[in-house]
Amino acid sequence: MSDVSPSGAARPHGRGRYGRVSQAVTELDERLGVARGARTFLDKIFPDHWSFMLGEIVLYSFVVLLATGVFLSLYYVPSSTVVTYHGSYLPLDGMPMSQAYASTVDLSFAVRAGLLMRQMHHWAADIFIGSMVVHMARVFFTGAFRKPRELNWTIGVTLLTLAIVNGFLGYSLPDDLVSGTGIRIAYSILLSVPLVGTYLAFWVFGGNFPGTVVLERFFILHVLVVPLVMLGLVGAHLALLVRQKHTQFPGEGRTEENVVGTPMFPVFMAKTTGFLLVVTGVIALLGGFAQINPIWQFGPYEASRISYAVQPDWYMAFLDGALRIFPSWSFHSFGHTIPLEVTIPAVVLPGLLFGLAYAWPALERRVTHDDAIHHLLDRPSARPRRTAAGVAVLALLAMLFVASSTDVIANFFHLSLNTVLWAMRVLVLISPFVAYPIAYAIAREMHALHGAGKRKTPNVVTRSAEGTYEATPAPAFVDDVAEELAPAPVPTFIEEEGPAVAPRPSRGTRAVDR
Amino acid sequence: MGRVRASWRVAGAVGLLAVAPLALAARAGAGPRPIYQTTRHDAGTPNSDVVVRHHGVVTSYGDSAITYSAPPATLKALGYALYLENCATCHGTQANGVPVAGTTGAYPNLVGLGPATIDFWIESGRMPATDPRSVEAPRRPPRLTHHQALAIAAWINSLDPSYPGIPTVHLRGGNVATGMALFALNCAACHTIEGDGDALARSTFAPSLRHIPATQVAEAIRTGPGNMPRFTGNLSDYQVRDIVKYVTTEIQHPRNPGGFGLGGLGPVGEGFVALLVGVAGLALIAFWVGERQ
Repeated sequence: MSDVSPSGAARPHGRGRYGRVSQAVTELDERLGVARGARTFLDKIFPDHWSFMLGEIVLYSFVVLLATGVFLSLYYVPSSTVVTYHGSYLPLDGMPMSQAYASTVDLSFAVRAGLLMRQMHHWAADIFIGSMVVHMARVFFTGAFRKPRELNWTIGVTLLTLAIVNGFLGYSLPDDLVSGTGIRIAYSILLSVPLVGTYLAFWVFGGNFPGTVVLERFFILHVLVVPLVMLGLVGAHLALLVRQKHTQFPGEGRTEENVVGTPMFPVFMAKTTGFLLVVTGVIALLGGFAQINPIWQFGPYEASRISYAVQPDWYMAFLDGALRIFPSWSFHSFGHTIPLEVTIPAVVLPGLLFGLAYAWPALERRVTHDDAIHHLLDRPSARPRRTAAGVAVLALLAMLFVASSTDVIANFFHLSLNTVLWAMRVLVLISPFVAYPIAYAIAREMHALHGAGKRKTPNVVTRSAEGTYEATPAPAFVDDVAEELAPAPVPTFIEEEGPAVAPRPSRGTRAVDR
Repeated sequence: MGRVRASWRVAGAVGLLAVAPLALAARAGAGPRPIYQTTRHDAGTPNSDVVVRHHGVVTSYGDSAITYSAPPATLKALGYALYLENCATCHGTQANGVPVAGTTGAYPNLVGLGPATIDFWIESGRMPATDPRSVEAPRRPPRLTHHQALAIAAWINSLDPSYPGIPTVHLRGGNVATGMALFALNCAACHTIEGDGDALARSTFAPSLRHIPATQVAEAIRTGPGNMPRFTGNLSDYQVRDIVKYVTTEIQHPRNPGGFGLGGLGPVGEGFVALLVGVAGLALIAFWVGERQ
């Protein structure tokens, strides 16, 4: 086809060698002037390391959460109105239940792909928060939170808090026997806040438990308020990442002044799109083949009913564990009751943990007096005290997590529940103090080892005529040496024909100045 | 939520209550005082007009849903022989809980417990106990046959004929929906809503219901083995039948329309799958496609 320009004035380059794409882009640039910004963006360099992709798991499971969540919200009815169930699941036939529970059972059984969507949503939530924790651990142990990235760390901790809160809200929405028990516990936790507890609980629940408005309120919080805030914070998180550029591990040719990695287009874009599909695929497989939260087996929530052995989803388990093992202390005086057995494990403890996470960059700076800008990451072994502190907190959390299944452990190993309870009390208390020195010692040893974590190269030992021996390390393996293209200036316009650069066989890694 | 299924785990689960439940009858006997005592009272008050009482003792719960039958008296002689072989060391030659000289411990009096009790303990493999001094009487493959259990029950019943007899549950008319509601109200607090059982306080366990035959479910409800309450007056036979129907269908054969049931472990199992398959799997894929240096 020839050039079809309505004015009759032929374009100087026609479609050029990129055909319609080029034409569309040119049309867009002529009107909006996007070429320069797009060029900069497409040339953005992303350091390539597998651990930098952990955050992508978080991002893409968030995408899955939003997509499946929209589907679920089309069928879920956020209402405490009591209805009688006459659906396809026979064991619930004729049972009075809230409309929320009835609609969740119906969307599982009577809506095409409804159960798949519900299970994908739940698995995605579990993976979302799980990968968030792993991503956070990566950032912590490599020191990526240091100046200038403290703000992004703060946003990340806020996102984790909101994700846990929203996970709990979503878990509560079906109003089944188990989630109703969870809401009951949340109500008690609110009540236990000293002085304002009663007012706080009544304010959130619109009166006494269970009330008639809590599901409606949780629904709006779960599908609108919290996700909106999270979406904004995710945007800010990524914008800061682009603005400040990604950190990189130290290595051949990598300095504080440059970024070594692959450009946004085409390498990073192709990789990350593929990874989006992988994350979605894994979640879809889990949603299709692994049953999660079979609420129809639990029946509707009713205050007179209770199931033994109720656990929350895994990310709330550390709170549940703390509640389980805390001794029954409480304070009654001056006309007030403070149930310390709830206040300390469920209000004070998470407050301290998240407070510590928020404060860590400042705390570390106070100790190290390190006020420099850091773009190069630490190997965890190079900072044994920070690494050991992180491991100690993780050990504490892991033990609290285990403590949330005291009954499962007692049943599985056929031990007395009381023995398990006391064992967990001891383990939780000593775990950070045991973990710290072990992690510290390992980190120090690893740091002292030359070339730890790299492939070993042989030492060539030669003997001279005089009989002296000399060991010369052989050069590193070719794959172990970073291979980079020379720094290229970012062009300010699109050269359609492009400069005549002979393509070099490489992985497309390039270094640019920050 | 759900719990561990494998019978060997639950086996131990009955833990200390093994001897304890029966031990209540032996209060008068010498030896260590049993730590755990079974409730022999009726749990709750009758709410059904089909319950028939005679001198305050329940004699019938309304026979159209469950038939209670006494073991045939013709087996008495065989039963006595089997009793002396398998039971008399601890429970005494007269089944009154006074053990043979030289045996220590507190053992329950079996007279007047009713054939269903005797049948349940023998047919669930809990009796004869592996170690009579042990507090453990886990569920295991029965040592005696159905015929032999009936015979022993027949002999003990002949000492003082008592209720309940061995139940035959007519499951055909059972209603799983009523069964589920009753199960959630009466059973889930210990056996969990998925029927997997769990550890209770101080080495006591609620066993899993995953592999228990209908007759034994009904026997357990009516006789209250171990720490379990006896559900007599407050559940009619129709209601027991509905519970047994729910247990033997939805609990024992869950349909799991969502895929693999993950062992009915609830959020514990789900969390492990999410973290080990989901997060760790995706991190491995990242490790695979990303740069490793």
